[in-house]
Amino acid sequence: MMRLLLLRLGQAALVCWSVGTLSFILMHLLPGNMAFRVAAGRYGYDNLNLAAAQAVEIELGLDQPVWEQYLNWLLDLMRFDFGNSLVSGLPIAHELMHFLEHTLMLAVTAMLLALLLALPIGIYAAIRENCWFDRASLLMSVLLRAQPVFMVGLVLLLIFSLQLRWLPVAGFDGPRFLILPAISLALVLAALSSRVIRHAGVEVIHSAFFQFSRIKGLSFGQTLIRHGLRNAALPVVAFLGIQLVTLIEGIVMIESLFSWPGLGHGLAHAVFNRDVPMIQGAAMSLGLLFVVLNLWVDIACHLIDPRGRAES
Amino acid sequence: MTGSQPIIPLLQVENLCVFSRPQAKNQAPELLLEPLSFSLYPGERLTILGETGAGKSLLMQAIMGTLPKPLYHQGRIRIAGQDLDALPQTEREQLWGRRIALLPQEPWHALDPLMPSQEQVSEVYQCVKGRKPDSADHQATQDLLAVGLQGAEHKRPDQLSGGMAQRLAFCAATAAGASLILADEPTKGLDTSCREALVQLLCKKSTQGTLLTITHDVAVARQLGGRILVMKSGRLLDDGRIKQVLDDSACQYTRQLIEAEPARWPPYPLPNIQQATPILEAQELSKQRGNKRLFEHLSLQIRRGEILGLTGDSGCGKSTLGDILLGLLPADSGRVYRRGGFAPQRYLKLYQDPPASFAPQVKLAQLFDDLIRLHRLDAKRLPALLERLNLSTHLLQRHSHQVSGGELQRLALARVLLMEPVFLFADEPVSRLDPITARDVLQLLVEVATEYQCAVLLVSHDPALVHKICHTQRCLSLP
Repeated sequence: MMRLLLLRLGQAALVCWSVGTLSFILMHLLPGNMAFRVAAGRYGYDNLNLAAAQAVEIELGLDQPVWEQYLNWLLDLMRFDFGNSLVSGLPIAHELMHFLEHTLMLAVTAMLLALLLALPIGIYAAIRENCWFDRASLLMSVLLRAQPVFMVGLVLLLIFSLQLRWLPVAGFDGPRFLILPAISLALVLAALSSRVIRHAGVEVIHSAFFQFSRIKGLSFGQTLIRHGLRNAALPVVAFLGIQLVTLIEGIVMIESLFSWPGLGHGLAHAVFNRDVPMIQGAAMSLGLLFVVLNLWVDIACHLIDPRGRAES
Repeated sequence: MTGSQPIIPLLQVENLCVFSRPQAKNQAPELLLEPLSFSLYPGERLTILGETGAGKSLLMQAIMGTLPKPLYHQGRIRIAGQDLDALPQTEREQLWGRRIALLPQEPWHALDPLMPSQEQVSEVYQCVKGRKPDSADHQATQDLLAVGLQGAEHKRPDQLSGGMAQRLAFCAATAAGASLILADEPTKGLDTSCREALVQLLCKKSTQGTLLTITHDVAVARQLGGRILVMKSGRLLDDGRIKQVLDDSACQYTRQLIEAEPARWPPYPLPNIQQATPILEAQELSKQRGNKRLFEHLSLQIRRGEILGLTGDSGCGKSTLGDILLGLLPADSGRVYRRGGFAPQRYLKLYQDPPASFAPQVKLAQLFDDLIRLHRLDAKRLPALLERLNLSTHLLQRHSHQVSGGELQRLALARVLLMEPVFLFADEPVSRLDPITARDVLQLLVEVATEYQCAVLLVSHDPALVHKICHTQRCLSLP
């Protein structure tokens, strides 16, 4: 267990450094003058002139050699100082906290919704293997997974916000705003995990220990609850770890689509404004979120399956 | 045997046969188990003896009602006079555990891998018998104690040995109080001491009910006593009381089966190897798996042409030791010396499960050709080698799944011998073969190894077998 925690901590440090460095390099590779873009972000394109851009350049040290800027950033990072936004001038950490709060709200709601959908669908499809329900759920799953996440969001948005006018289009101002983005994300997550749950379920139902439990005299339901769920949960939870990539990816797209004030949306805006510290901060937070969620998955697997404990 | 037999038998099988459903419409269904009839009265024991693949397991599945979908049965099965086919599936399932118990063939697979031992038994009392949790737990503890599993209550199946897992499975299977017990190869893979303990357990339980056992092990049948049926490829060959059948049967196949018992093998004339040069030496080997110590400070030496038998309980590290000697696994401490400067590919392994050691998609001839080309071997030696192993060269035109297990293991042996090995690690090479084939393959292995002056480390769970055909014996036991 200790080894696992240390491993994840090391991974987190590596994610911070690599994501920060990569976004730094990419930002400097983008065409266009950085000082002009930042100045445009601060004062608007109409008020943009050479003097403003030069003032920005000197203020932010953009005239310094690139490697010096990079070293400064690295030193600040080691002191847990994410710096200030180039555009708003506010500390990044403060804005990130605000974003993170909203992103977590969306992510957790979407995950819960996805489980609420995927668990019953997956388990029922496993019990009634190859029946019409199983096939229909396979078809739905393939259809949903064949779309990019924002496509699903867009379709829901067109139907429920623009046509039926039941739900708000974008932004965040109360729980009603959470519904559409959370459902879009949940649908995409559930499309895949329901199939994983179904396959794990089928495998367990066909296993020798499941049949032996029946032969011992336990009913199908008793066997499913006592032997099926825990054994089937193992591959499912392990798969959740892999699916987190879809979640993080989906968050960036869905937040941009619904103007959800979260990390992904913040990241997209920072890219338009060349707000390098903000990009690094947002990307790093998403990376760290991934590491933390993975740690949870590891711990869950550890609790479900005690067999590996002696080995590690 | 009870004094007065009731008129209704506990289990009655009448003209039971099993077919496989045809794949295409114009095909006829394939008969897998030929018509079989017998009755079992309370207190009686019946043992069905026969080679693997003789349709014995199908009989059990037909009685339980768990035949796989592509198969179906005909004929009548009655339990205490009740015709099973007249019952709807749900009522049939109501018999499981309560009236009929089935002891599984592979207990490790049949037990829930994540559940502690005691719970796997106590849940039956709780869910089937409707007892309160603490009363169920108490009863389960008693049950485990009765079969010598005290101290293992909170262990998971992967922490149990094969014998312990089988006893646990026995407790779990019979907890719901069934009086008819079906045991499908209950001693498969168990070493002799575990085997005897389990057979005694079965005998004890069957005094209150009825026991139907399937086995290919004559020794088990002898110990169980009662009545015996001898089957070969789905056909009934012999029927009678155990003593009468095993001591004096008119049936040739039965006699062959009895002769194939390792204890009855004629002593094998092994050549003297005292003067031979040592080919492999291990010093002070230790190995640990997880936090289980397999062996410590183990030293051994093998000479050219020597047959060294290695016995021990399943899971005690026999295979691991062989892999360490071959250099496939590292030892925790100690050293292995391979002497004489032979190429590493002349230290080889013969696997337990023949089908698993051949690629199924390619013809056998292709597999042999590849090997000959890779190591620039002399292809002209192959026909003579196959003849020596009583194999026809036509077999090479088939795929690995189209030849029998015994043939495939001999082909695996031919493949190994082509490499002119100096050391061969044979990991339970015949445990998946039926007794007659097993004896033939093993004797051939020893004969040919002696001819080639190849040292053999023969792993087996049967001390009697090792005793008959090995120069030296080593027994691994867990510390």
